[in-house]
Amino acid sequence: MSTTAAAPHSFHDLYRDHHSWLENWLRRRLDNRWDAADLSHDTFLRLHASEQPLSEPRAYLLTLGKRLLINFYQRRSLERAYLDALAALPEECAPSPEQRCMLLEALQALDALLDGLPKQVRRAFLWSQLEGLTYGQIAERLQVSDRTVKRYMAQAYEHCLLAEL
Amino acid sequence: MSAALPSADTRHVLHAAAQWLALMESGGASAEDEARLQHWRDSDQRHEQAWQKAQQVRARFAGVPPTLGLASLDRPPLDRRQLLKRALGIAVVAPAAWLAYRQLPLAAWLAYRQLPLAAWSADVQTATGEHRQLALGEGASLQLNTATAVDIDGAARQVRLVDGELALSVQGGPAMTLLTTVGLVQVSDGEVCARQYSEQCRIVVLRGVAQVQPMQGPALQLRAGQQVRLGEHGAGEVQPWDLLQADWRTGVLSAQNLNLADFLTELGRYRPGVLQWSPQVAALRVTGSFRLDDTDRILSLLSASLPVQVQSRTRYWITVQGRDNAA
Repeated sequence: MSTTAAAPHSFHDLYRDHHSWLENWLRRRLDNRWDAADLSHDTFLRLHASEQPLSEPRAYLLTLGKRLLINFYQRRSLERAYLDALAALPEECAPSPEQRCMLLEALQALDALLDGLPKQVRRAFLWSQLEGLTYGQIAERLQVSDRTVKRYMAQAYEHCLLAEL
Repeated sequence: MSAALPSADTRHVLHAAAQWLALMESGGASAEDEARLQHWRDSDQRHEQAWQKAQQVRARFAGVPPTLGLASLDRPPLDRRQLLKRALGIAVVAPAAWLAYRQLPLAAWLAYRQLPLAAWSADVQTATGEHRQLALGEGASLQLNTATAVDIDGAARQVRLVDGELALSVQGGPAMTLLTTVGLVQVSDGEVCARQYSEQCRIVVLRGVAQVQPMQGPALQLRAGQQVRLGEHGAGEVQPWDLLQADWRTGVLSAQNLNLADFLTELGRYRPGVLQWSPQVAALRVTGSFRLDDTDRILSLLSASLPVQVQSRTRYWITVQGRDNAA
């Protein structure tokens, strides 16, 4: 008689019992089943890496799956906006294919860095960093006080610093 | 995700570094502030490290070309709730509401209810500003307006509107069923247009007749030139629809004495990026037919015919405001 309690779920069992359920859940929120299959696969990979004891495997899978799904949509919407902006550039300013790729990666990293900031704070920060607007100009655009802009900027810097830890 | 939370101490140092940087950039720092900052940096190695890290954040943004950076990082935000909620009606409809579907032919009802997810064999979507036509075979065809997503099951003769707007035409073939989150529409010979709003769906009959089955309440029969809005609580009043006005199916945006805010909301569906307006111009009136293949031109037509000015910070960031309060 074994003295150790049986592991409640082996990874294999989890995969067998919940894989098609998760893939269907993702499938209903994505435009095609290949993305759903990829995301479902990634979710199980995360689960495998986390080695959490699971009493509610589906709830946990759903939490991981939701996070990956939002991530996926965010990357895609960034890529679309980026491609649209590239297409609108005059030909002589267009970057080389290699530069495009590197730039997209850099933008995706910055997008992830800013993720979670309130909309207005994010906007103020981007205007300052990318357009070089002064706090006064930002205050005017957003119709808030200079003090508020300073608070936004500090909030954004703190957010980025914490995210980079 | 698996990393431990930073200690209160670390957070405190990062908070201070962020405050310092914001003060220095504000243009309002005095010589005394600068001396205090220098003292803070010198007083503890972790302070200096945090300060350097904050400078690195700045450097990362400085390396991005401003136009491309703004257009992609300052894009309109995603509606996360909507993304997570988005699902086939089959998963979100309360069981009681399904009883209403029994009024449809039993076979169609069973097919919808029992359709396995894998049977949804095709997914099609259009980008913002795109218009697409699809032949479904056996006399049926589909047009998709801007930013539209549909699931098509040819074998079951079913089309599901996930988001956006479509027109479904059936002529001389077997009937088609159009599924929306708030009801079903059956077309055996005719053409219907369906548009998904955030919580409602508008059904317009453009040709022939259609059977409309809201999620709650009795089924209705609509004929050409009639429209109805369906919501979670059933159908609204049946209203007339002007069949003569040109619409997106022919690449035209028509306005009959529409207020500018509503007009710009419509126009915004066809343009990527942000299109906003000041409250002062919202009530101006617009009448006319505009070609959707060049929305920049529509904006310049507006500024030529109304007392408005169109400011574009980038192609993706347009503000329409009154001429007098333009800065």
